Amino acid sequence: MRLSRHRRRARRSLLSLTRLAALVLVAWAALHPGTTAAENRVTLGGNYYRERSTRVIQPYVRATVDAPDERLTLGTAYLLDAISSASIASGTMQATGGDNVFTEFRHEVVATASSRLGEWNLGTFFRYSTETDWISRGTGLAVARDFLQRTINVSLAYNIGVDRIYRIRNNIGDRLPWCGGAIAPQDCRAKGSGTHSNLLLIHNFELGYTHALHRYVLGIFGVQYAHLVGPQDNPYRENLIISAIPETHPRVRNRFAIAGSVRATVPQAHLVFEPYYSFYVDDWGIEAHAPELRIHARVHRHLRLRARYRYYHQSGAFFWKADGMYIDNDGQCTRDHPERCATADVKVTAWDSHTPGVQLVWEFDGLARHPGLGWLEGGYLELNYNHAIQHNRFGNARIANATLSFAF
Amino acid sequence: MPQRARSLIAFAPMTCTHGFSWRGALLVTAAIALAGCATVKPSQREALSKPEMTPASDGLEDEFYGHIESARQGSFGGHGVGAGGGGGCGCG
Repeated sequence: MRLSRHRRRARRSLLSLTRLAALVLVAWAALHPGTTAAENRVTLGGNYYRERSTRVIQPYVRATVDAPDERLTLGTAYLLDAISSASIASGTMQATGGDNVFTEFRHEVVATASSRLGEWNLGTFFRYSTETDWISRGTGLAVARDFLQRTINVSLAYNIGVDRIYRIRNNIGDRLPWCGGAIAPQDCRAKGSGTHSNLLLIHNFELGYTHALHRYVLGIFGVQYAHLVGPQDNPYRENLIISAIPETHPRVRNRFAIAGSVRATVPQAHLVFEPYYSFYVDDWGIEAHAPELRIHARVHRHLRLRARYRYYHQSGAFFWKADGMYIDNDGQCTRDHPERCATADVKVTAWDSHTPGVQLVWEFDGLARHPGLGWLEGGYLELNYNHAIQHNRFGNARIANATLSFAF
Repeated sequence: MPQRARSLIAFAPMTCTHGFSWRGALLVTAAIALAGCATVKPSQREALSKPEMTPASDGLEDEFYGHIESARQGSFGGHGVGAGGGGGCGCG
């Protein structure tokens, strides 16, 4: 397909930004000679998520190489998302001829580069993700600095996401661009920007602050802001709205999150207590609170256990109606025109959840002392299981993941 | 009335009438930051260098939770705080 000038220009700008960031990193590292630690690492893993109507299996592989040491670390990752009967299935099942189980695959590749030079850390990445009805590109830059002999670390990160959203029409992969429920499909373009474009642009800013408050206590604080412009409603959910009108959310969203946690260790008992709290607010009217407590126990020199409990509560968006009764009105959904909005999205409703979980980490350093097993040094196996008791339409969820990592 | 008590009374209505107070959050953050201005010497960081005390060691797990939460919750944020580009407190 012939690319429009707009698309070529946008793609070129994104690639130029990523290349420039990578070049700055390479030059930065080259200008700062010195010998520091080096470690290469390969990590294999699998994530699993299961609820009443959705199952996600997510294998991935990651590798990082110090070239030649921590002054320049290059990394790459590949991730496959296999989503069965996803939330979009109610719509796609009709489009695909009523298959009982609809499985969708998402492929994601990431390239990273980072550099640690004395008290400074620089990092950049490029991410490309593709699935049948969603293409996403993202890049970003992070900078961090240590203060007071590494007692304090302050980090700042910015990343941008450029997403194109489509709607699947049939089971041979035919698709149309999706510009949101307020725009008729025939008026929607897969190029450019604006209300008649399927572009979702995401700007994300993060500020992190880590402080060794005491020889046994670490304090962590973070702020995150995101500005999103573009279609943020789901093209397949109109079947879930009583009046069968397209889901229509506001095109603009400003999101803000603040989080703090403390890690305090009791060395004699080999315990670490980690209370955590995050608060979230956005201009859609959603407020969320998430307190969490993690307790880490080193039960053996190379074996760690962790118990976790998280409570989550959120309020509903200004356009959410508990009775689900929406009227078909033309125009963009905004604060001033909530009558133009419609939703069947659980994410914008009021609900809460409880999530207990356990983790086991086996560090291979003990095994590495045996003859022939020295290559296991620095490796570990991590297993997680969480059970989310969700008071919403999704129902309860089982969340598990396994990670196997080796240093080389 | 002592100045400190007066400022506490002036501060109280904000925390009682609203669920979340930005002034309160800033005050607590500043208090924690100032209280911890003393440097923890490298020789005293043995406990801080353990993986269970290092936020970056939860990076992959938190990335997955962040992905789930973005698909299932109306909110975001929090995961990976302090680890983004900074690698924790550099205690290792």
